[in-house]
This record gives sequence, structure tokens and C-alpha cells, in this order.
Amino acid sequence: MTAALSSAAHRPAHRARTTALLVLAAAPVLLALAGPLLAPHTVDTPVTAPFASAGDGGALGGDQLGRDVLSRVLHGGTLLIASALLIAVVVTLAATLIGCAAVLRPALGRAVERSADVAILLPPLLGIMLIALAWPGGGRWAVVAAAVVLGTPYAIRVVAAAASPLTTAGYVEAALARGESASYIALREILPNLRATVLALFGLRFVEAVYVISMAGFLQIGPRPPASDWSLMVRENASGILLNPWAVLAPSLAIALLALTVNLVTLLLAPDSTAKAVARS
Amino acid sequence: MSPIAKTGPVADPSAGAATAPRRAGRLALRLALTVGYRLVMLTVLLALVFAAVELLPGDAAGAASERGESAAGIAERRQLLGLDRPLWERFGEWMTALPTGDLGTSARGQRVTELLVDPLPNTLVLAVSAFVLTLLLSLLLGCWTAARPGRLADRLVSHASTAAFAVPEFVVAALLLLLLSLWTGWLPAVTVTGGDGRPASWTMLIMPVLALVVPQTGWNTRVVRGALADRAADPHVEAAHFDGLPVSRILLRHQLPGAAPAIATGIATSTGLLFGGAVVVETLFNYPGVGAVLAGAVAARDTPLIAGVVICAGGVISLVLLAADLVRHVTLGGRA
Repeated sequence: MTAALSSAAHRPAHRARTTALLVLAAAPVLLALAGPLLAPHTVDTPVTAPFASAGDGGALGGDQLGRDVLSRVLHGGTLLIASALLIAVVVTLAATLIGCAAVLRPALGRAVERSADVAILLPPLLGIMLIALAWPGGGRWAVVAAAVVLGTPYAIRVVAAAASPLTTAGYVEAALARGESASYIALREILPNLRATVLALFGLRFVEAVYVISMAGFLQIGPRPPASDWSLMVRENASGILLNPWAVLAPSLAIALLALTVNLVTLLLAPDSTAKAVARS
Repeated sequence: MSPIAKTGPVADPSAGAATAPRRAGRLALRLALTVGYRLVMLTVLLALVFAAVELLPGDAAGAASERGESAAGIAERRQLLGLDRPLWERFGEWMTALPTGDLGTSARGQRVTELLVDPLPNTLVLAVSAFVLTLLLSLLLGCWTAARPGRLADRLVSHASTAAFAVPEFVVAALLLLLLSLWTGWLPAVTVTGGDGRPASWTMLIMPVLALVVPQTGWNTRVVRGALADRAADPHVEAAHFDGLPVSRILLRHQLPGAAPAIATGIATSTGLLFGGAVVVETLFNYPGVGAVLAGAVAARDTPLIAGVVICAGGVISLVLLAADLVRHVTLGGRA
């Protein structure tokens, strides 16, 4: 009885917490997307001296060419977030569909295991370098393609691990006995029960994509120097870190804030127990 | 499962010496199969890398001569680099040369092995120090928090480690640079290379290693803590709690051995990220490692050189994964 009471009292508080967490995760994303509208200066014309200190011509000073750091930071996240979202959507979709199919077809399941074992041997950053170089002029698309190719095998493994206990569930066995097709069972019986896993996977893939894109950007794969991009800014302005620390600090903090909030919120909303809860049912 | 798990280890000594060699034999067979499997996976990776280098547009001859060389010049260079021969022939040659330490020829015609022989050990020093420190820190933090589940320290470490692993290494490095070098002046901001191609002082290793350790420890502390939590519900661990054994003893003697396979696998799978992080951190600190070679290779579009680094990284990661497999087989004995 006490348990019932406490869980009933717990529910509205839980919902409020969930909403607060989602707002927290959305804030840096929205800020980065709306950033270009708020920027006081253009991103490509010098407004002050190179590495001018904060307050001297711009709120956060100037970068290595004297361009306004604040404006460049406000502009620098849009494409990063857009590509990260694209990667997360594609990887999660592919992993969910293939993962659900893999638990019904053992041969496909084994192929997935093998490909994940191969993919683990290739550091993601090196894989991106290879693909971006073998595809000259690919730019951001090459990075997106590489991140999708390299990230999918592991994501499929996560979905398959969560889905495999469901294949012995009563409703799946009933559907098998009815003679339903594999695609029907995968999409209509297994997939709806993996919502929590898929959502957590999406959040973690987004964080991973931000990580991979910004690491590649730092090595000047993807965004090209005149573009304003957070990781590129850290790289370009590192030489003047002593003169205007903000030119490095502001984009660093922007990346850290984005990765940190989305990651924390994903894991708070869908803790490790989700996968286990799915596995037990 | 619970009665088997409880009686299994107890029943073993009474089974007698006759089964011991058989058990060792089975373990050896299992290890041989694992080594074979990892080797096959590595070969598949090598084939993929070869395909990426060969089949996608932009070959080594074209890349090295983009600046207005004639078609005849490019054709001559292709012949010089052996790019005009059939694909399978070159793949066979490339593969058979690899075990002898020959990683092929870079786009500029230098031996890849020669280009990597100096920087690779430097990167390995960086990565191995970071790996060892990460291992120690995450085991310590994981065990320390597992001993006080749900308390403030546990929750703080959990949130901090979650936050840490999402942040790219170069961001951590930039923040460390500001904090430990520019504002306090404790550590040198850039790595100065001595005459022997190594960093001039070990203090120059501190910040690069720290920048790698922070995100890695965040991830691996979660792995350790999760693996220990999974074992906390085991019957023999619960029984030990009911017997009133001290928490630290239960943790180290009863929970940790059971969690070892999961921890080893989790930590081994993060070595790829560690390697990528090392490359980026080196660039920021001007550390004389593979990162500088790779940055040059990216600028020069030198795909064979990058493929050479991928091979070395794949080999090292295979070894770490094998070590994790070893931990799993030894812990589980012939059972799994």
C-alpha cells in the first residue's frame, strides 16, 4: 500500500523532472541553431585586431584574423548539430531495422557480430580520415558517410542484444505460430517493445556523432578554414591562446556544453536499467 | 543457475587431477581459436583498408602530382608505384609484405615504415601511460563507489563520469592548457622535441596524458561500476553479505573476479577511441607522434601512409582485445 502511494505521488514529480531534463537538453541545441540570428557581426570580415582581448571590439575579442569570436561561436554550431542529428537518425534507423531482423535470422545475426568485431579494430577517427581522403571534395558529407558506416555495426549489436530476449516472448511465438512474416514480427511485435532502448541509442549516437565530427573538424576534415566551426576555431586560435584565451575557450565550452547536456539527459532519462528492463519482460 | 554457480567451484578440487590436463587442453584450444578469430578479423580489416585505398577515387600517383603534372607524368608515376598491375596481385604482395614490417610506399615514394618508426613509439608511450592510468583510476573509482551504492559519492562520480566521456579530448586538452599552463604556469604549454626525437622532458607528457585520461576514465568508470553492480545480485555475493563479511572483502574477493570479463571487454573496446584521442591531442600540444604524421598525410592526401597507421592501430587494438579474451577465458575457465 505504501509502495502504491509513493509510486502515485512519484509520477507527477517524475514527469516534471523529465520535462525539465528535456528542456535542459534542448537549450544548447536551440541556442546553437538560433545563434546566427543573434550574432552581432558577420563571420568573415575582421572587426578588430588579430587576437584582440575580450571587450576590445567584440564581447569575446577577435580571432587569428581579427574576426568577432562571439559571432563566429554563434554561427559555428549549426552545421555541427545538423550533421550530428543526421548521423544519429540514420544510424538509429538502420540499427533498429537490421537489429530487429538479425534476431529473427541467425545468419544475419552472425554477420552483424563479425562486422562489429572488424569495426572495433578501426579507430573511428582513422576510418573517417581514410574515407574523407578517398572521397576528395566530399567535405562534411564524407564525414557523415564515414560516421554512419563505422557507427552502425556497434549500434546494431546493441539493438540485437536488447531484442534477442523478446524472440522467446509469448506474443512473438504466437505470431510465429500464426505464420506471420519476419518483417511483420520485426516491425509490429518486437520494435514497439524496444522504444526505450531505441531512444537511449539515439541520444548516445547523437553525442557520439558530435564527438566524431568535432574531432574530425579539429583535424580539418570536413569544414574548411574560412568556415566558422567550433572545432576548427579551437584549432585555428590555439596559437593565440595567450593573447585571447576566449577565442579557444568559447568554442571549447560550446562543444563541451552541447555534448555534456545531451549525454547527461539521455542517460538520466534512460539509465542502464532500460536495456535490462526490456530484457526481463 | 544459482545452485550450479554455488557448487561449481567447490566441486572442482574433489574432481581429481585427471580432469586438470583435459581442462588445460580445452583452455588452450579455446585460446588458439580466439587468436585465430582475431587474426581473421584483422585480415578482413586489412582487406577493407586496401580496398578503400585502391578502389575509391584519388590514387597515390594522382594525389602526389595534383599541381599541373602532365598525363604522361602521372602514368609514369603510376608505373613507378606499381599501380598499373592487377588489383589482386598487388593485394597479395601487400599482404605478404606486412608480416615482414613492410607497410608499403607513401604517395611521395618514401617507405611508410621509415616514416612511422620514430613517431609511433612516442604515440605508444602516450597511449600506454594513459591506458594504465585510466585502468587504475576507473577500477579505483568503480570499486570505491560500488562499496557505497546510492550514496552521494556514488551519484556524484556517476554524473561526473557520464559528463566526462562525452567531451572530446581536444576540448579537455584546451581547458587543461589554460588551467595548468597559461594561468598557473605549472607545466610547459608545448612539447619540445629533444635531439633523439623524443619529448625533451617527461613533464611535457603530463597534460597530453591527462587530456586522454579524463574522458577515458569517465567511460571506463561506468563500465566497472556497471559490471560490479551486475554481480552484486549474485547469490554467493548476497550470501557473503548475510555472513557479515566486510564490504571491501566481498567487493574484491567475490564481486570483482566475476565482473573481470565484462570490465576487460569494456576497457578493451575503448582503445580505439584512446588512439583517436591521442592523435588529436598530439596535434594540439605539438607532440612528436603519429598525430603530426597523420596531419601531414591529410594535407598531402597521402592515403597509403594513413593506411599504414590504420594497420598499426588495428594490430595494437587486436592485441588488447586478445588480452581481454585471455582474461575472460582464464576467469571462466572451461565453463563458458
